[in-house]
Amino acid sequence: MGTLNLEGVSFRYPGPGETVLDKVTLVIPAGGIFGLLGPNGAGKTTLISILAGQLRGATGSVSAGDEPLEVLRRRRPHSLGLVPQDYAFYPMLTCAENLRFFGAMQGLGGARLKERVAAAARFARIESALARRADRLSGGLKRRLNLAIGLLIEPEILLLDEPTVGVDPQSRAFLLESIRSLAGAGRTILYTSHYLEEVEAICDHVAIIDHGRVLVSGALSELIREGSGLQDLFMQLTHRSLRD
Amino acid sequence: MRRLLALWEKEVLALSRDILGLAVLFLMPAAFIVVMSLALSDVFKGGAARQTEFAVMAADPKLADRLVRALSGDGFRAAPAPADEAAARDGVRRGTPSLVLVVPRDFERALGAPLDGKSTPPGLTLLADPGLPPTQLLAFRQRVLGVALGLRVAATMRRAGIASNADAFDLKRAVTLSVETIGGTARPSSVQQNVPAWLIFGMFFVVIPISSLFVVERREGTLARLVSQQVPFTLLLLGKLGPYFAVNLTQAVLMLLAGRTLVPWFGGETLALPARWDLLAAVTACTSFAAIGWGLFVAVCSRTLEQATVIGGVGNILAAAVGGIMVPRFVMPEGMQKLSEASPMAWALDGFHAVILRDGGASDIAAPCVKLLALAAALLAAALWVHHRRRVLTSAQ
Repeated sequence: MGTLNLEGVSFRYPGPGETVLDKVTLVIPAGGIFGLLGPNGAGKTTLISILAGQLRGATGSVSAGDEPLEVLRRRRPHSLGLVPQDYAFYPMLTCAENLRFFGAMQGLGGARLKERVAAAARFARIESALARRADRLSGGLKRRLNLAIGLLIEPEILLLDEPTVGVDPQSRAFLLESIRSLAGAGRTILYTSHYLEEVEAICDHVAIIDHGRVLVSGALSELIREGSGLQDLFMQLTHRSLRD
Repeated sequence: MRRLLALWEKEVLALSRDILGLAVLFLMPAAFIVVMSLALSDVFKGGAARQTEFAVMAADPKLADRLVRALSGDGFRAAPAPADEAAARDGVRRGTPSLVLVVPRDFERALGAPLDGKSTPPGLTLLADPGLPPTQLLAFRQRVLGVALGLRVAATMRRAGIASNADAFDLKRAVTLSVETIGGTARPSSVQQNVPAWLIFGMFFVVIPISSLFVVERREGTLARLVSQQVPFTLLLLGKLGPYFAVNLTQAVLMLLAGRTLVPWFGGETLALPARWDLLAAVTACTSFAAIGWGLFVAVCSRTLEQATVIGGVGNILAAAVGGIMVPRFVMPEGMQKLSEASPMAWALDGFHAVILRDGGASDIAAPCVKLLALAAALLAAALWVHHRRRVLTSAQ
C-alpha cells in the first residue's frame, strides 16, 4: 500500500468563507497509527472527508504509495474504510441489519457477507447485541457498531474520526485496544481525537493542525522529547482562546 | 443490483418500523374514503336523494292540496302547513320545513285575469331556509313557476270556454324524459369520486416517510458514509423508488378493496370496478412516479424533519384542496376549476375517473399520464440539481 502522501492540499466550502485547509502537506507512514490533532474547526473532519472521498474540489494531491488515492479508491474500493464521528448507521435497524446493509453496499454478498458480519461483530464485541435495534444501544455499543461497520471490508487504510467520543472508560479502553490491534495487522490508521492522552497512548506519529494549517508533524516520541507532554505542546501551538 | 436490493430492503425495514408513517399511508386514506364517501353521498346522488320538506299555505284548502301534489316528489316532500305566516317564518328559520310557499287570497282568480301588459301578475312568496343548497332552491323555484304556468293555462282555457283540468298541465305529465349517462356502466357516485381521490392523496403522502428518512440519513451521517463507500447519489434515489412504488401499488389495491367492502359495510355504495385493469395500473404507476418524485424533491430540499413534514404535508393538502380531492371540482366556481388544472392531484384524478367512471381507453388517460410522468422527471432532475448545488452530503466541516 505504501505511505499516504498529502501535498499542498487546500479546500474551501462554496460561497463566502475562509479557507478550511491551507496547503496541508503530511506524510502518513504505512502501518501504524497517525494522530491528527487540532482544536474544534481546525479542519480535521474536512481532511478526513476529503480522504474518504466525501468532499470534492480540494486542490493539491493525495497519493497512496505511487498511486493517486482517487485512482486507488476506484481500482480497489475496499482499500479505504471510514469510521465517522457521527453514529453513521440506521437507528431503526438492528445491529445485524446495519452490518448486512453496509456490507452489501460495499459489494459483499452471500457467505462472504455472513462471514464478515460475524467477524466484525466479534471484533467489536457486539455479538450479543446483533438482534437489538441500534437506537436502543448504549453509547459504548453504538461506537462499537460504528467501528464494526468500518471494518466490514478489512480496509488497508482506516480513517477514524473521534471514535471514542461519549463512551465510558471501559468502552474507551476496549476501543483503544482494538484500534491498536488493527494497526498491528499492518494497517494504516489515521486517527483524530480531542483526547490527547489517547493519542499519546496509541499513536506513533502525530500532526497538529489549526486554522487549516499544519503546525507540527512527526514521530510522537520526537515531538514530546523536549517538552513535558503532548498536552503542553498542543496548548503552546494552538493557544488558549476558545474556538466555538 | 446487489446494492440496489440492499437499499430497497433497508427502506422496507425502516418503513415497517415506522408505525406513524404506515398509518399515514394506509389508515388515513382508508378513513377518508369511508367518511367522505358517506358524507358526500347525497351530493353525488343529486336532488333525488335529499328529501327537502316544504309546505304550502293557502286560504283555499283545495288549491293548497293541488299545489302540494304537484310540487311533491323528486326530492321534495310535503310537510303540514304552518298555522300562520309568523309560524311559517319561525319554522323555516329553524329549517323545518325548509320551504314554505305562501299563496295569497284569490290567487287562482287573479291567474285567470288576462295578461295585457298593464296589470301585474299575481305574486307568490317562497320562504326559504338559508341553509338550503342553492341548486335545491332553484329546482323548487322552477317547479313552482311550472305549476303556476299550468294553473294559468288552465284558467285561460276555461275563460276561452275550453274545458280543462289544471292537472293536465302538470310538467311531470307533459312528457316522459329519460336521462342516459354516456360512458360507464354506472353513473358517478360518491364512492367513485372518493376512492380515487383519497387514494391519490394517500399516494402523495409517501413524501413524509421518504423525506423523513432522508433527513435522518443525512443528519446521522449515513449518507456521507455511503458516499465514502462509492455509492452514487442516483443509486440512493433509485433505492427509494422501488419500495415506495410497491407501497403505492399496495395502497391502490387496499383502497379499491376499501371501496368494495368497507364503504358498503358502513352503509355506503359499493365501488364499481373498471373493465380495463391495465389502464388502471398505468394511471396508478404514473401517479406513483409523480408522488415519489415529489417525495425525493422535498427530501433533498429539506434540512430538518420539521421542514420535510411541513413542506410535504402542507404541499399535499394545498394540492388536494385545489385539485378536487377534498371538494369535487364540479362544485367549484369556474376560476377555481381553471386553477385546479395546475394540481398534479387533479391530473391523477382525471386519469382515474377516465378509467373508473367513463370506461375510457388509452387515449383518455394519455394526457394525465404524460403530465404526471413529465412532473416526475422534472422533480427528479430538480432533486439532483438541488443536491449538486447545495452539496447536501458534504456539509460536514
